[in-house]
Amino acid sequence: MNLLRRMYRNETTVPFAKLWKPVGICSLLILIISVSSLGFRGLNLGLEFEGGGAWELPASGIEAEEVRDALRPLGIADARIQTGGDVLRVRTELSKVAQSTLEEGKSTDPIVAQVTAVLAKITGQPESSISVSTAGPSWGEEITQKAINALIVFFIVIALYITIRLRWEMAVGALLAVAHDILITVGLYALFQFEVTPPTVIAFLTIMGYSLYDTLVVFDKVRDNEHLVTDSKLTYTSVVERALNQVFMRSVNTSITSILPVVSVLIVGSGIMGAVTLREFALALLIGLIIGTFSSLFVASPIATVLRIRFGDSDSDSNRSYRLSEAVRKRSNSNQGAPSVPSNPAIPPRPRKKRK
Amino acid sequence: MKRQVLLPLLSILIIVVGSFGWSIGAGNSILLGLDLEGGAEVVLEPVEDIELSGDALDEALDRAVEIIRNRVDGLGVAEPDITRQSNRIVVQLPGVEDQQRALEVVGQTAELRFRPVCAILPAVPIKLDQSNSQNSDGTNDGPVGILPTDQDELSIDGPVQQDSETMGLTPDGIGCENLGFAPEKAIEMENTEPDDDEADDPIVLPLLDSEGNSYQRLLLGRSMLTGASLETADASFAGFEWQVLPVFRAGTEGIDLFNAAANACFNRTSKCQTGQLAIVLDGIIESAPTVNTPFFERDQIVISGNFDQNRAEDTALVLRYGSLPLEFGDPTDPTSGSRVRLVSATLGQDSLDAGITAGLVGLAIVALFMISYYKLLGLAAMLSLAVSGSMLWVILAWLSETRSLALTLAGVVGLIVSIGTSLDSNVVYFEHLKEDIRNGRTLRSAVDQSFPVAFKTIFWANLASLIGAAILYFLTVGSVRGFALMLGLASILDLIATYFFLRPVVKLLGMQKVIQDRTWLSGLPASSEEGS
Repeated sequence: MNLLRRMYRNETTVPFAKLWKPVGICSLLILIISVSSLGFRGLNLGLEFEGGGAWELPASGIEAEEVRDALRPLGIADARIQTGGDVLRVRTELSKVAQSTLEEGKSTDPIVAQVTAVLAKITGQPESSISVSTAGPSWGEEITQKAINALIVFFIVIALYITIRLRWEMAVGALLAVAHDILITVGLYALFQFEVTPPTVIAFLTIMGYSLYDTLVVFDKVRDNEHLVTDSKLTYTSVVERALNQVFMRSVNTSITSILPVVSVLIVGSGIMGAVTLREFALALLIGLIIGTFSSLFVASPIATVLRIRFGDSDSDSNRSYRLSEAVRKRSNSNQGAPSVPSNPAIPPRPRKKRK
Repeated sequence: MKRQVLLPLLSILIIVVGSFGWSIGAGNSILLGLDLEGGAEVVLEPVEDIELSGDALDEALDRAVEIIRNRVDGLGVAEPDITRQSNRIVVQLPGVEDQQRALEVVGQTAELRFRPVCAILPAVPIKLDQSNSQNSDGTNDGPVGILPTDQDELSIDGPVQQDSETMGLTPDGIGCENLGFAPEKAIEMENTEPDDDEADDPIVLPLLDSEGNSYQRLLLGRSMLTGASLETADASFAGFEWQVLPVFRAGTEGIDLFNAAANACFNRTSKCQTGQLAIVLDGIIESAPTVNTPFFERDQIVISGNFDQNRAEDTALVLRYGSLPLEFGDPTDPTSGSRVRLVSATLGQDSLDAGITAGLVGLAIVALFMISYYKLLGLAAMLSLAVSGSMLWVILAWLSETRSLALTLAGVVGLIVSIGTSLDSNVVYFEHLKEDIRNGRTLRSAVDQSFPVAFKTIFWANLASLIGAAILYFLTVGSVRGFALMLGLASILDLIATYFFLRPVVKLLGMQKVIQDRTWLSGLPASSEEGS
C-alpha cells in the first residue's frame, strides 16, 4: 500500500514520537532566530503605531497613484495618500527624532524636505503652500495596552477551559504551541523588517485563533484514545502517536483548505493583479497557518505527552472516559480480547466480517 | 425518519433564503472601509482662547481622541481612523457620504448638561393674542403647558426679539429661579439655536418623538450639573423594559450636585417646578425624566419609561461620553481651522478587485479539492459553506446598516482565510465517517453514529474560539474588536451550518440506495471491503 493510499485510509504509521526530538530541535532553532531578531532588530512599526509626518496641500484633479509613483524613488511608496475636497494629504513614517524636530517647526530630516519638494513639483504648487505637521498614531498606546490586557485574560481563561475540558498538561502544550506560532511569525517580520500595520496585527491574531483551534481538535482525539492506556496496555506515548496518525489526514486536509485561499491571495492578488499591500499580509498568514498545523502535531503534543508521563496520574485515564463512538468502543473491546498488543498499534485491526 | 431530516433542512434553507431576501429588499449592503472606499473627514482644531498648553493640552487632546473614538465607534467595528496631527484631531469615517452626517457622528464640541424643566410648551410658538383666538375657535385643544394666568402682566410684554436680549442678561439664580421673565412668556419664544445654548441661560428646546418630530417644547432652566459629574452609564433590559443606569462620581462635584438638583425637582421647588430634570446635549433633549426620589446613591439611579433598545443605548452613550475636555472650533466655520470634507480611499478599487478575484479563485480551487477528495460529501461541504457564507453576509450587511461596520482590505482577506477554516468542521466529520465505515459499519449507521462524536470535537474547539472572541471583544477597542466580532461570528455560524445543514444533508445522502452502492459517489470506502 503506498503512502497516499494509507493516508487516505487514516492508516499512516508516521512515527511521530521519534520525530519529536529532531523536529523539536529545528523548531527551537527557528524560535531562537525569531526571538533574537525580534530582540536585536525590533519590529518595523508602521505609521499607525509610531506616528510620522503629514503633508497637506491644495490640489485638485490629481490621482493618488501619480503621487505614489512620484514618491517611489524616495522609498516611501507605502505612504498613505488621500485626496478629497481639493486637498491632497500624504502621511508617512518618520523617525521619532524627525517628528520632534518637526513639532518644533524646524525639520532636520532630509526626507521631510525631499517629500515637500516632490509634492510641490507634481502638483505645481509653491512649497510655501504645503503645510507639514506631525501625524499622531491612530493605533495609540491605549489600544495596544487594552489588547495586551485582553490577551492575558484570554490566555488565562483558555488555560482554565482546556484544563477543565481536557487536561492541564494539554493546556500548557496548547498555549506554548500558540506562543511558538506567534513568536515565529512575528520574528519573521522582525527578521525581514516587514512593516507592521494594524492588518498585520489582525493576521497575528488570526494565526493565534487558528493554531488554538487546530490544537484542540488534535487533543480531543488524544483524549478519546486515552482509555487505551489501560484497555490495551499501551504506553501513553504510543496512544498519542496513534491518535496523531488518526487525525493526520484531517490535519493535512484542513491545512490544504486553509492555505489554498491564502496562496491564491499571494499569487493572484498580489502577484498577478499587483495589490502590493496584500503581499506581506498574505505571506504572514501563509507561514502562520502552516506553522499552526505543524505545531499541533510537533509542539503541543510532545509537550503535553512529556508532562503527562512525568506528572500524570495514570489511574485517572480509565475513570475519566468520554462518550466514544460505537466503532471506537468496539475496536477497543476487540483489542482487549486480543492476546497481545497489535504489532503496530497505529493500525487498527481489521474488523471481522459478520455475515455473508 | 425522512421528516427528521427534511424538517431542519427546509427550515434552515427558508431562514437563509428569507433573511437574504429581506437583506436585499431592505437595501442592506456591506460598507467598505476607509482604505477601499474613503469616507468623510472632520478636522477639529481647538479654539484659540483655550487656556491649556504643553502637557495639559496634550493630555486633553488624547482624552478627546479617546472620547471621540468611543462616540463614533461604540460597537468597535466601524474602523474609523482617528489621529492627531500636531494639535488637530483628524477623524475619518468610512462610508459616510455627506458632511452633515459626519458632523453629527463626531458630535463636535458638545457639553452634556442637566437642566430642570421649568415649563412644558406647545410644539410651535404661539403669539398670545393668536392663541387666545385659537382657543375660542376650538382649533387648539388639549393642554398646552403653562397657560397665562395674569393677562395684564403679559400684555405689557415686548416682541419676541427682545426676549432673547433679556435672556442674555439673566439675573443670578439656580435652575428655574429668577429667569428674568415670566415662564408663561416662553410660550411665545422661538427655539434656542445651538449657538446660543449657554449653561447659565434658560433655553427653549423641542422634545422629539422617535421619528424626529417635535411634539412638545420645554422651557429649561440653567444648567445644574454637567457630564463631568458622571462616571459612566449603561443601558440594560430589566424584565420588561429598557432602562438607562447612570453612575455619578462620588463627592461634591458628582453625586452631591445631582442630589441637589434631584431634591429640588422632587419637592417641586421654584428651582424645578415641574419635577422633571432634562438631559441636554448639543441643543438636543436626550431625555427629560421625572424625579421620583429626593435622594440617590451614586450608583443606584435608574432612568426608565418608554425606552426602546436604541433610545436606551443612545442615551447611555451620550451620558458616558458626552463631554469633550476642551473646546474645538466649529468645522462649518471656515475661519476656525476646523473643517469637514469628503476624502478618497487610501488603497482604492484595484486592491479590492485583487482581493475579491483572489478570494474567488481560492474558493474555486478549494471547491475543486473538496469535491475531488470527498466527492458528494465535498459538494455538501461547499453547500454548507454557502449557507454559512450567506448568513455571514446578511449579518455583516445588517451591522453595516445599523452600526456602521466597515469592511477593510484586511477584513476581506480575513474572510478568505475563514473559507478554509470553516471547512475544517466538515473535514473532521468526514474523516470520522471514513473511520467508522472502515471499522465495519454500513454507511447508513455510520452517518448517525459519527456525527455526535465529530460534533463534540467541533463544538468544544469552536467554544474555545468563541470564549476567546468574547474576551477580546469586551476588553479591546478598534481593529482588535472588529477581529473578535468576526472570529465569534465565524465560530457560531460554523456550528449552526454544521448542525442544521451538513448533518441532515449527509444523512439524506446516506439514505439513498444509489449512493450506498457507489463508493465513487460518496467518496467513502465501501462498507465491507474484504474483497479489495
